[in-house]
Amino acid sequence: MTLTATNKVMSVGKKLLLATVLMLFMGACNKQLDIKSSRQADEQGHWDSYEDARSGLMGLYGLLRAALADNNAHWMWGELRNGDFLSVYRTDLKAVIDGKLNASFPTIEAATNWRRFYAVINASNLFIERVAGCKADQRYTESYYKLDVAQARAIRAFTYFYIARIWGDVPLITATKEGSFEELPRTNQNAVLSFAEQELVQVAPNLPFLYSGVDPAQIYPNNYYGYNSSQWLNAPVTRLAAYATLAHIAAWQGRYIDAAVYTEYIVNNASKSNLTLVSTTNLVTTLFNSGVNNNYNQLLGFSFNRNVGETTSEGHIEQLTLANTTLYPMSKPLPEIYVPKDSIASAFPRSNGGTDQRFGVDPASVQQTIYTNYFENYSAAVPVFKKIRVVDGNVGNAGQFAVFNSSIVFTRLEEIKLLRAEALAVLGQTDAAYQELNAVRGVRGLASVSPAPSRDLLTEIFAERRRELMGEGWRWYDLVRFNKLKRTNPAFNMLIDKGGIYWPIAQEVLNRNSKITQNAYWQ
Amino acid sequence: MVNAVVYPGYKPKLTDLIMKKRMILSATAQKLIVTALLFSFVGNANAQSDTTSTSSKSDTAIMSVTNGVKVETATAGFKEISFVPLRYVLKQPVISLQQIVKGNAAGVHVQEPSGEPGSEQNIFIRGISSPLLSKRELFDQQAAIFLNGIPLAQDNPFAYEIQKYDFNRIGPATNLLAAINPDNIESIEVIKDPLTLAALGPVATNGAIWITTKNAHSGYREIAVNSYYGYALKPSVTPVNAAYENSFRKPFYDRFGTLADRLNYPPYLRDSTNADYYGPANWGDKYYENAALYNLDLSLTGGSERANFRFFGSATKNASSADRTAINRYTGSFFINASPIKWLTVSSMLNYNRLERTRNRNIRDRLAEQRYIPDLTNPLTPNKNVYSSYLNEFDKVIDDNTSNVIQGYFALSANLNKFSYRGRIAFDYNEGIRDVFWPTTLLEKNNFVSNYFGYNQRMVVSNTASYQIDVNRRQKLMLEAGQNFMADTYKYDYAYAYNGPNDFVKINVVNGDPNAADYLLPAAFRVYYFPSKMRSALASFSGKATYSFDDVLKLHAVVSRDGSSNMQPDNRWTTNFSGGIEWDVKKHYGDALKDFNAFSVNASWARLGKLLNDDRFNAGAQYRVDMGWGNEPTLGSYAGIPGISRPYTSGWVGYGIPWAYSEQANLAVRMGFLNGNLKFGIDVYNREDKQMLLPVPVPTEWGYTGAYKSGLHVRNNGIDFTMFANILPEDKHELSWSVSANFNYNKNKLVALPGGLDELIIGNNKLVVGKRIDAFWLLKNFGNYKRQNQITVNPQTGVALNYRGVPITLGDPWWLDLNGDYRINDDDKLVTGNYLPKVTGGFSTTLAYKAFSLDMQFYTALGHQVLNQYASSRLDFINVEASNNINSVKEITFWEKKMDLSGYPMYNPWSSVVPYRLDQSLFLDNASFLKLRSITLSYELAKANSKNKSLRSCLFYITGTNLFTITSFKGDDPELVNYNGIYTGYGLPLSRTVIAGVRIEL
Repeated sequence: MTLTATNKVMSVGKKLLLATVLMLFMGACNKQLDIKSSRQADEQGHWDSYEDARSGLMGLYGLLRAALADNNAHWMWGELRNGDFLSVYRTDLKAVIDGKLNASFPTIEAATNWRRFYAVINASNLFIERVAGCKADQRYTESYYKLDVAQARAIRAFTYFYIARIWGDVPLITATKEGSFEELPRTNQNAVLSFAEQELVQVAPNLPFLYSGVDPAQIYPNNYYGYNSSQWLNAPVTRLAAYATLAHIAAWQGRYIDAAVYTEYIVNNASKSNLTLVSTTNLVTTLFNSGVNNNYNQLLGFSFNRNVGETTSEGHIEQLTLANTTLYPMSKPLPEIYVPKDSIASAFPRSNGGTDQRFGVDPASVQQTIYTNYFENYSAAVPVFKKIRVVDGNVGNAGQFAVFNSSIVFTRLEEIKLLRAEALAVLGQTDAAYQELNAVRGVRGLASVSPAPSRDLLTEIFAERRRELMGEGWRWYDLVRFNKLKRTNPAFNMLIDKGGIYWPIAQEVLNRNSKITQNAYWQ
Repeated sequence: MVNAVVYPGYKPKLTDLIMKKRMILSATAQKLIVTALLFSFVGNANAQSDTTSTSSKSDTAIMSVTNGVKVETATAGFKEISFVPLRYVLKQPVISLQQIVKGNAAGVHVQEPSGEPGSEQNIFIRGISSPLLSKRELFDQQAAIFLNGIPLAQDNPFAYEIQKYDFNRIGPATNLLAAINPDNIESIEVIKDPLTLAALGPVATNGAIWITTKNAHSGYREIAVNSYYGYALKPSVTPVNAAYENSFRKPFYDRFGTLADRLNYPPYLRDSTNADYYGPANWGDKYYENAALYNLDLSLTGGSERANFRFFGSATKNASSADRTAINRYTGSFFINASPIKWLTVSSMLNYNRLERTRNRNIRDRLAEQRYIPDLTNPLTPNKNVYSSYLNEFDKVIDDNTSNVIQGYFALSANLNKFSYRGRIAFDYNEGIRDVFWPTTLLEKNNFVSNYFGYNQRMVVSNTASYQIDVNRRQKLMLEAGQNFMADTYKYDYAYAYNGPNDFVKINVVNGDPNAADYLLPAAFRVYYFPSKMRSALASFSGKATYSFDDVLKLHAVVSRDGSSNMQPDNRWTTNFSGGIEWDVKKHYGDALKDFNAFSVNASWARLGKLLNDDRFNAGAQYRVDMGWGNEPTLGSYAGIPGISRPYTSGWVGYGIPWAYSEQANLAVRMGFLNGNLKFGIDVYNREDKQMLLPVPVPTEWGYTGAYKSGLHVRNNGIDFTMFANILPEDKHELSWSVSANFNYNKNKLVALPGGLDELIIGNNKLVVGKRIDAFWLLKNFGNYKRQNQITVNPQTGVALNYRGVPITLGDPWWLDLNGDYRINDDDKLVTGNYLPKVTGGFSTTLAYKAFSLDMQFYTALGHQVLNQYASSRLDFINVEASNNINSVKEITFWEKKMDLSGYPMYNPWSSVVPYRLDQSLFLDNASFLKLRSITLSYELAKANSKNKSLRSCLFYITGTNLFTITSFKGDDPELVNYNGIYTGYGLPLSRTVIAGVRIEL
């Protein structure tokens, strides 16, 4: 050993020095290593400002819109099955139309997965639990807080109604329980719907008829989040939107007395939300467009506004229905789905009293011109359904660029009136029912109808719904309600009784939660 | 706060904005360069003054060149085993590092999914440690590349977040490792030894490729000139026209088609008199062309013992014979070393490369960037005339892809007897710029413009001090303490816009009058703008001790403390440790081992931390923009107001995420026989990667696609074998023959999943504990149903066999009902096969006679499979065409017969069970292959004319590459396969090239 004691001491000293230097370095380094991600907001310091509340609330709307728009599923669920549309060449859509909902196509598998809706529900639960923290920001007043929570609860209730309509029994979750990822079983559909109803009843008074609208009592925030009422239109959930959802929950459950009450409220207060019955021309030109001034008529809808960069290809029925016509050149030669001529003829019979402006022969014209408000290329084998046609905001060289700006409209005043007519008819208030029906017929150029021995009021109302709401994602649910009321179609009765009116649940959902069972009809 | 928020209309001057950013950034880069140059000049000044003083040869100190990072790697005397043999690639038209190492190093697997020059390629060392679920995971598995000790920064995959399709990353998507010119390389070593990797820190956990460039050195000035010129040759393909497709489809229509199906017969096949489709299929003349490729480089080295320099400059073009794709590379490198004082060495490097890529004209790649699917009913025609009018539209196209890659360092090395110090500041800055304009004629009367500017910047500061203690004459102890700090910045600005006023105005014109109502409002383009940035830092402190006994036995130990900014604050730091033993058996036993020239055994073990590539885990629970969906991923607002929510789509991130780590053990044996003419290297290894993060599926009722949980544990083990043999040594015979070979056998196994799960399903992957992580998950085909009674019926319920509820009928495939429940579903799918080869290897041989020599190189990968999506989508033509999505795009190569489809059974393509679905064993093909990569014939003038001393070397050669493939795979090339083993037929062929070149050293 050549190492001397002094060397040893020195080396120990060096080591200590080194260790000290290292410690100092480490301290400095920890600061260097504290780099926040610029691509996300951390939990810490979130939910303490006006902006956090606003972006959280908009997140809810965005998630819900995504759930409806993904794969154009809103129409797969509501419009296609047993509906008027046929698929030109898409085998997956054909399977939906034929009711083969367990067919093995990626789009159908996606449409049977309810995850996106539960993202809305989880986000709503989180918002309701946490947004109170934002009151730390002075700008986030109590009136903002109340209104935002009311919206979140209404969105959650609407979501529960929407999925209960598709899958029947669904798990009811009203707390976030973040990070637990418990497996929960399905809850009885009626319990889910009554939860949704209670919530809506509770929050409806907290929702305004118009956002940033005239509000002498100063209940609601004025200039809500910096938008005036003509910027908001009816984009957030209004009080009437909550009532519309209530009415549909009641109708879906067959509680038509409630449906009549809720719809009455809407009809009586429609003007407060600037809702009107629209002319046929406005129906096909402006109602569905997300970017039109003073278009308040989307009572409950989800917008894709071109001016703010929310243009998309998917999430619009146009993606499925539009194609080249002589009046409106597009590069796509054939649509993906179409209403065949026979169905058009049966839905819009010539002898319906008056002239149907949606589709019918113009009496004023000498050459028997056909109204093309709903359909173009009627003479071809595959007509084009163009009732909803908002291509690239309907500006510029529209038509050549197949991106769309129509809103997903859940309901509008005409729909509510027809629902009211349906409720009144079931309740035996025939005259009042006719009155509502004729109001809608009137704006479409049809003559009024009155009771006659050969006329079945309910059939008449549902026929009108079929015409008026074509392409808006109602057809399947209308068929269900109609057949529940009538029970004349044995095949449909079987579907109702065996739960076949509900969609199967995606294999992925079943794989991930052992407590979820497949709908009996699809087992 | 949060990216991916669309601010349409608020970024009025798209190009201006990007230009501005560029200037700022280039200013940053310039600063770096200036700093480095400044140091260089200081060194240079010293060099100048020294030249005069040292020319007297009074000072004979030999300067040790430093790059500031010293890694002891190769076992002495085993150069041929440790290093990648460069003699072959130096005579080949290779463009990327991946191509240089492919087949040339045991344990290195290179994926080259397309022959497009300069496109991205992957390097895995000793397998992969976690399943490749998407392109993002691919990034985590790549080997670390060190250029003169600088860990090179690569494009971060976070840009995929804003992409609808991940075929190509936004931006130039150029392979940044194409910036390395082989003529500038002194040596390449693949580092697999755990102990050495431990010294390199957590960046090197996946293994490292250590590139040492040629450096300045003293001596009489040396000039080297290398050049080649040649062609990528037009391949011979089988073009087909609509008649072929028609006759392919007809039997399906005859057997299964209904009248309605016939009425829907695709328009382009309907009319057999249409000469555009049914005419001559001569598109190949326009698509495949002989393409010139070349390289010219020059290097100049000189200086004295105390100061010297090296310059290297090159211009290279690599091209493919397909679709006029090419890459141009320009390089300029400077190296300066100076030793102002005897014990101090200052070294610096500046390496600049410019890469310009001419990309393919694939429709799919274009539409993927445009995020828009036009009507795809009518494909391009197989006819040359119509096709060339389409190609003419590309005259209006702007598609500029430029990458600037700059590396540099400034290093100090001081040697004071037993104490030495090395310090270095190094940077790697690479920027990608892509400007695109596609005219109205290419997209349904809409034009498209996009601009991308992005950079990856890495700054490394390291200091190492070491002290040697000579305990006695036989025993030595070397102690080393080091610090390393690495700061990365990844940034991109991406903007795109549609529908400009015409094909001539390509910028957004705005009104500049602040008083005008339309002040700065975009007049023509509606711009979608995505800025994003990510920063990360890694700090390490390490201590190393080496004890050496008589040079026979060496013991090593490394301990390091590493902290990463991508980890959560409470788990920021981790301690890694490693140890190893080197035993020189030959020296130990001396003459007792007569037959051996050398024999050493080296065993080492290390625990290495694994880095996360994304900063989104460092905060735990978080809020992000998540308003989009599969086909519209970038929506960021509702009614124009940005919204955020929990990361439902990208997955829940919780707290308490520990460092993932890798435990690696390696036993290396090196043996030399016959005066070093026969050498073997055998490495046996085991690698356990633990505590890795995985997005685990959770009940969908919480809204998340998955939750990130740690606990993934994957084992890789195998053997590397390298051999070198001088069968006829050069010095003894006029005829010489040498052979080198390398092989790797690797297998992986999933040992544990997070939360103790036994199996889990993520997308189309099923991970099962005990099985491979690169397996496919498929239904098992049994053949065809010939009679109705072959379709089994559940005797209990009377329900016939069904596929997820859809009854199986005649014309559907016979899938095995594994669990016998009369229902075919996910439970009947088998986890089978593997997409990474079990065996990879290469084999090279050189035969020389006098001044002539003949080199041959073979490359092989064995024991893996591919899933043939090409065949699946050709056969599933009904659904593929009907869905009109990105996978329905038909390229011009649709009219090329890439494989014979006649061997597949005939199913009903209209069936709801989707009989030609990809996830069945029908489409699992064996992809083993053996390739002759190159043959080179060369002639060494200096050898033939040995009297001329001034000419050190003058080598003429001709080389052919990609000459032939032996494989049972039926597609065009078993290598042109995606990272996850899916063969789509989209990859451009690996061109056969012929070059003639010369290498001169003066």
